[in-house]
Amino acid sequence: MKKILVVLLLLSVLLVGCAQQTVQPSATSTPTTQTTPSATSTPSTSAAEKILIGFSESKTGKFNAESKEQTNGFLLWMENVNAEGGIYVKDLGKKVKVSYTSYDDESSGERVQQIYAKLISEDKADFLISPYSSGLTASAAIIAEQYGKVMVATGAASDSIFNKGYQHVFQLYTPSSRYLTSAVDLLQTKFPDAKKVAIVYENSKFAKSVAQATKSYAEEKGLEVVLYEAYEPGTTDFTSFINKIQAANPDAIIGGGHFADGETFAKQIFEKKVKIKLLSLLVAPAVPEFAEIGDAALYVTGPSQWEPQAKYTKEAAQKMGVEFFGPTVEEFVKEYKAKYGYEPGYHAAGGYAAGLILQKAIEDAGTLDSEKVREALENMKVMTFFGYLEFEKGEYYGRQIGHDMVVIQWQESDGQLKKEVVWPETGASSQVIAYDEKY
Amino acid sequence: MKDSLKNLTDVSLLWLLAIIAVMAVIPPITNSITMREDIFLILQYIALAASLNIILGFTGYVSFGHIVYYGIGGYVAFALMYFYGIHLIPAMIAGGIVCAIIAYLLGEAVLRLRGAYFAIATIGINEAVKALVNNLEFLGGSAGLFFNFKIYQNYGGAGNAIWLAYYLMAILAIVVITSNYLIKKSKFGLGLMSIREDEDAAIVLGIDTKKYKSLAYMLSAFFPGMVGAIFFFKNGNIEPVNAFHLLKSIEMIFMVVLGGFGTVTGPFVGSLLYERIRGLLLVNPLFKDLHMAVAGIILLLLILFVPSGVIGYLRDKVAILRRYVE
Repeated sequence: MKKILVVLLLLSVLLVGCAQQTVQPSATSTPTTQTTPSATSTPSTSAAEKILIGFSESKTGKFNAESKEQTNGFLLWMENVNAEGGIYVKDLGKKVKVSYTSYDDESSGERVQQIYAKLISEDKADFLISPYSSGLTASAAIIAEQYGKVMVATGAASDSIFNKGYQHVFQLYTPSSRYLTSAVDLLQTKFPDAKKVAIVYENSKFAKSVAQATKSYAEEKGLEVVLYEAYEPGTTDFTSFINKIQAANPDAIIGGGHFADGETFAKQIFEKKVKIKLLSLLVAPAVPEFAEIGDAALYVTGPSQWEPQAKYTKEAAQKMGVEFFGPTVEEFVKEYKAKYGYEPGYHAAGGYAAGLILQKAIEDAGTLDSEKVREALENMKVMTFFGYLEFEKGEYYGRQIGHDMVVIQWQESDGQLKKEVVWPETGASSQVIAYDEKY
Repeated sequence: MKDSLKNLTDVSLLWLLAIIAVMAVIPPITNSITMREDIFLILQYIALAASLNIILGFTGYVSFGHIVYYGIGGYVAFALMYFYGIHLIPAMIAGGIVCAIIAYLLGEAVLRLRGAYFAIATIGINEAVKALVNNLEFLGGSAGLFFNFKIYQNYGGAGNAIWLAYYLMAILAIVVITSNYLIKKSKFGLGLMSIREDEDAAIVLGIDTKKYKSLAYMLSAFFPGMVGAIFFFKNGNIEPVNAFHLLKSIEMIFMVVLGGFGTVTGPFVGSLLYERIRGLLLVNPLFKDLHMAVAGIILLLLILFVPSGVIGYLRDKVAILRRYVE
C-alpha cells in the first residue's frame, strides 16, 4: 500500500511538472465565455437584432499562438463592421450588428463537438467559424453539418475534410494539394525555358502530400521530374542529395519540409553553387528567421497563404472581372498594426477574411437564412485583401479553388534582405529574380 | 462469482447505477443537445476512471499510460468502420477485444515490473504506439483518418448516430461500474487486493498472482478500448495526438485517486468532481491556464493527507456509510 502511495506521489509531482508545459501566458483581454454549465454566455436576442457568430479558439495548448492571431483578425473585422452600423440585411431592410461567442477548446479535439453543439443549440449562433487546424475543424464539421449551419473554415489547409460529403463547410486557405503548385506555375511563366524539376522533400505527412501533388501537377504541365526523393526528418547533411541534383541538372528545386531542414538545405545548395533558376521550399522561407543564413537566403522562394506585401488591389480585381470587397491590404495592415502593435501574419489575415466572407455572403443573400447564405457562398467569386476566393462545387464541395498561395522571394534592397511577393502576378510586389543570378 | 451475482441487488450498487441512469436520461427527456454533450463527457470519464480502477485501485499497479488502450480501441474500431463499413457495435466490441489481447501480451512483459518501473514502462508503451501509428500510412499517419459524413446515414443520420454513441456510452459506464462492484465482491477481487497490499505475501498464500494480474490488466484495457471506439465514432476523425494523449491518462489517475481508489463509488465521484473542478478553474481567469497544475497540487495533498480519497475518507469516518457505499 505504501509503495503505491510513493509512486503516486512521484507521479503527482510529475503532473505538476507536465502542467507547466501547457501553461501559456494569459494575455488575452478579450471578453469570452468558457465551456462549463455555469458559464454565462452572451445572452442571445432575436436574430433580427444582431448576428451571432460562434467559434472555438485554442486559448491554451499548442495552437495558442496561431489561434490568437486568428481571433485578433476576426475581432478587428467585427469592430470595423459594427463601426459602420453592422451588416446590411435586405430582408430586414436594415443594418444588423455582429456579436460573437467563443470558448476555449484547449487545442484538443475532445471538447470541440461539445463547444459547437452548445454554440448552435444554446447560444443560437447564426454562423460558425472553424477552430484552428484541420483535425479540430473535421470534428466541428460534423456538428455544423448536422444542424445545417454554415461554417467558414480558416486555419485548416487539409484537402481530406472536403470530400466527406459536407455541404456547409467553406475553406479559406489554399489546400495543401496546391501548396507548391504555384511554384510550378511561376517557373513556367517566368522561365519558359525551364524543363526539368527536382523534387526533394522531408519524409513527413504534410511535406509528402504536398510533394506528391506537386509532382503530378508538374508532370501534367509537361515538366520532367528528374529527381523525386525524400530525406528523413532531422537531416543535417544534404551532400548526397545535392550530388544527385547536380548530376540530374534540373532547372528548379522544389520541396523542403520544416524550418530547420529547409534552412540547412538552402545553405548547402548555396555552398555547392548549384545552378538553378528557382529554389522553392516549404515553410522555412516564409519565416523571418530565414534571413539569418545571409547570402544563402537570397533569391530563395517559398509559399505563404498571405503576406502584408501582397498587392491584391481593386485594379487587379477589375482585370479579372470580379468584385473587390472589404478593405485594401494597406488598410488592413495599418488598422491591425494600430490595434495590436505589430504586423499581421497570414493567420490574422485568415481570421479577418473569415468574417469578411460571411459578411459578403449575408449581403449577397440578403437574409440570415443558413441555406440562402450557403448558396451565396457557393456562387461567390470575390477579390479581397486576402486574395481571390471561390469555392468548389464538385466532389470536394466547399474546398478553396480561387485562393492561390503567394510565393515570396528573399530579395535585396539597400543591402538588407527583404521578403517580396513575386506570385501570383496579380498580387506581386516585385519581379522574380533567377536563383543563379546571385553567384 | 455466484455470490457476487446475488449481490447485484445490493443497495450500495443500486443507488449508484440509479444515479447514472437518471443522469443519462435527462438529455433525451429534455432534448437538450448541450446537456447531452456535457453528460457524454462525464459518462466517458466515469467509464475510463472505473476501468483504470481495476488495475490501479484493486491491484495497486499504476498504469500511467493507460490511455493507450483508448487509442488502440479507437483506431481498431475506426479502421473497421472506415474501411469495411462495419456497424459501430461490433466494431466497438472488436476494439475492446483487441485491446484485451494486446494487454495480455504486453502484460506478460510489463506486469513483472513493480512500482515506479511499471508506471514508467506503461508511459513508454503509450509513446511507442503513438510513434508507430504516426508512421503507419494505411492509418493516415500523423494526419489520421476522417469519416465521410455519409457513414452516419446507416444510423439514420448524424443526429441519430450521435444519440446512439451517447446511449452506448451510458450503457458502458453502467457496465464498467457494475463489473467494478462484481470484482470487488468476488474472490478474484480479494486476490487482487492481496496483491495490492503485499504481492509476496499473496504468492505465499497460494494466489496465482501472474494470472490474476494479467486478467485484471486485460479487463481494465477492454473497457477503454470500447470507450475510444465510441468517442472517435462520434468525433468523426482520429489522429495519434488525440488518441494517445498522455494528459488524459493523468486525468484518469487523478479522478480515481480523488474519488478513492479501490472503491466502486470512487471513480464515479472522482469523475464528477474532476469535471466540476476543471469547469470552475477554467472560468476563473487566474487559474485558466493552470488547471492541470492545480489538479497536480490537489493530487499531492490528497496523497499526503487523504490517501484513500473522498469515498475512502467518508467510509472511514462515517460508519453508517460503510453499508451503503462501496
